[in-house]
Amino acid sequence: MRRSIAWVGVAVAIGIAVTAGALDFGLDALVPDSSLRQLFMLACCNVVVALSLNVINGMAGQFSIGHAGFLALGAYSAAIVTSHAHEALGGGEPTFARSLLVMPLALVTAAVVAGAFGFLVGLPSLRLKGDYLAIVTLGFAEIVRLVIATAAIGGDVESPARAWGHVGEGGAVVRPFFHAVSVSLAQLGGQNGYAGVHDAGVPLYAGPFWIVGLAALAFAIAWRLKFSGWGRALRALREDEVAAAAVGVDPTRYKVTSFVISAMGGGIAGAMIATMRDGSPIVQPDSFGFAASFDAVTMVILGGSGSVTGAVLGGLFVTFTVKAIELAQRAPAVEALHARYASLDLNALRMMIYAAVLVTLMVRRPEGLFGEREAFRSRGAKT
Amino acid sequence: MNLVVERVSKSFGGIRAVSDVSFTVPARSIFGLIGPNGAGKTTVFNLVTGVYAPDAGSLRFGDRDLARLSPSRIAAAGIARTFQNVRLFAQLTVVENLLVACEAHEGAGLFAALVRSRTQLAAEGTMRARAVELLRVFGMDAAAEAPATSLSYGDQRRLEIARAMMTAPKVLLLDEPAAGMNSGEADGLRTQIRWVRDTFNVAVVLVEHNMSVVMGVCEEVHVLDHGESIAQGTPAEIKASPKVIAAYLGEDEDDAREAPEARA
Repeated sequence: MRRSIAWVGVAVAIGIAVTAGALDFGLDALVPDSSLRQLFMLACCNVVVALSLNVINGMAGQFSIGHAGFLALGAYSAAIVTSHAHEALGGGEPTFARSLLVMPLALVTAAVVAGAFGFLVGLPSLRLKGDYLAIVTLGFAEIVRLVIATAAIGGDVESPARAWGHVGEGGAVVRPFFHAVSVSLAQLGGQNGYAGVHDAGVPLYAGPFWIVGLAALAFAIAWRLKFSGWGRALRALREDEVAAAAVGVDPTRYKVTSFVISAMGGGIAGAMIATMRDGSPIVQPDSFGFAASFDAVTMVILGGSGSVTGAVLGGLFVTFTVKAIELAQRAPAVEALHARYASLDLNALRMMIYAAVLVTLMVRRPEGLFGEREAFRSRGAKT
Repeated sequence: MNLVVERVSKSFGGIRAVSDVSFTVPARSIFGLIGPNGAGKTTVFNLVTGVYAPDAGSLRFGDRDLARLSPSRIAAAGIARTFQNVRLFAQLTVVENLLVACEAHEGAGLFAALVRSRTQLAAEGTMRARAVELLRVFGMDAAAEAPATSLSYGDQRRLEIARAMMTAPKVLLLDEPAAGMNSGEADGLRTQIRWVRDTFNVAVVLVEHNMSVVMGVCEEVHVLDHGESIAQGTPAEIKASPKVIAAYLGEDEDDAREAPEARA
């Protein structure tokens, strides 16, 4: 019995890998419109965004509104790694064979960097609750974005290696150190964004194989986390911290671990967005503003905090809303209106749609579409 | 192992909730901790289980110093408790409430959960079997997969005891287990407390207002009033102590102080 279940798992995993691999080569032929391809891939990225935030906001019951900070860390880390790896491999076209080498490197770096920051942000979560924690996470995301966006660029271009070499010269440490840090940060392109080595653009290595594969993997991991003893202890902690501690669940360990896992997932999602084929070859700080964090929260709440399938649905819904409004923006009638009223911007409509959907949801179904339940899973199922 | 509370004090702002309290709970005894409302009984529980740190005094279990341990470590050291206001994991099922209680020391951990290893599946199976067995013992196995909140009030209290027992404790602290129970249920509780002690070889510390439960089941009773120890002895001695009677019936405080020392 157990043996057959294991085989089913392996078969499904191979099936997904083969399908994703086939998509890597066949998607261009299947979907000739590059903007549609982009939409499909972006939806997969957003699914990972929602699944990772769901670990903190849903399963652990904390409230983070700074997920964009982890996305940004992952995106920049992955962009730097892929750009330099691409350069080292001699440039040219980012092929699938090379992506098998470059992508794991980029993803691991993104996950480690984001995870390390997740640990730092997770520590105050032990003392802060609710709104206060939300403010800390929001502050963290804005700090990440602004540190990158406000780096002094242009002027004398000094190589970071040289600047770091000056640290400690003649006993001076503090000033040269901060100078070196700012020179290094300037490499990220400030407000203009990071466009790879020599501004050649970030090589877009992540084809559908990686994007679809990672989304599927993230789903599997989130599912197993939720329906494991570890996930059960995390839910118990969310229900009643005092009672959970009284039966031996260490709140510190579980909360910080869930923060790190969520941050690593966010880092991976950011890496996917930064290196996505058909995506933008420039990583810009403005993509990771408050709106991005808020989108992530919307995805989780919409689907139902704590529900894995709900997070997937939320991720898809938000992606397609963005796209639908973009399409409506280009409709002749809207364009005509736009000609008369220059300030007309349907993107503002997006916030109104979210607001309407969220308010309706809070009134009619406060637990989200799925609550904590899962689609395709009966209520009495063993967990 | 004895649970030793020695000269423990705890203040909140200017209020001395517990002042210089000492008592020893011998292994496998049933020990009552009583006193009028606000006497500091629950504070003593919170001190023993690490929810609060004592201002002064020492708390020891065997040779371990409890005052420095976090609540989860104290639970792991073998001290389990229930709460005055039932604190179940509301969104979890009955059996899941029990499974959480052995996750910390028997669970296979995060990595094993992700790869769903053979040892993890085996550990989960053993844990579940133990949980169901414990539920059968407490007569709740039929409701194993129901949400914890769907149980009756008495069953929720019993589930809390079962959850505490799931950590395989050596000392079980019960905070007003008979609160809200009718006299029939309270009688049943008396038998169950004795049965739990005999079956699991635990010491039971009981905070309770229901005197028929306390006097019927405890071997030793310690009385607190205004955060101070005023008496300790067998139920018969306590019932006869003028100081205890004064504390409960609200006799003039000066008279009470002049009453003979009833401490054993």
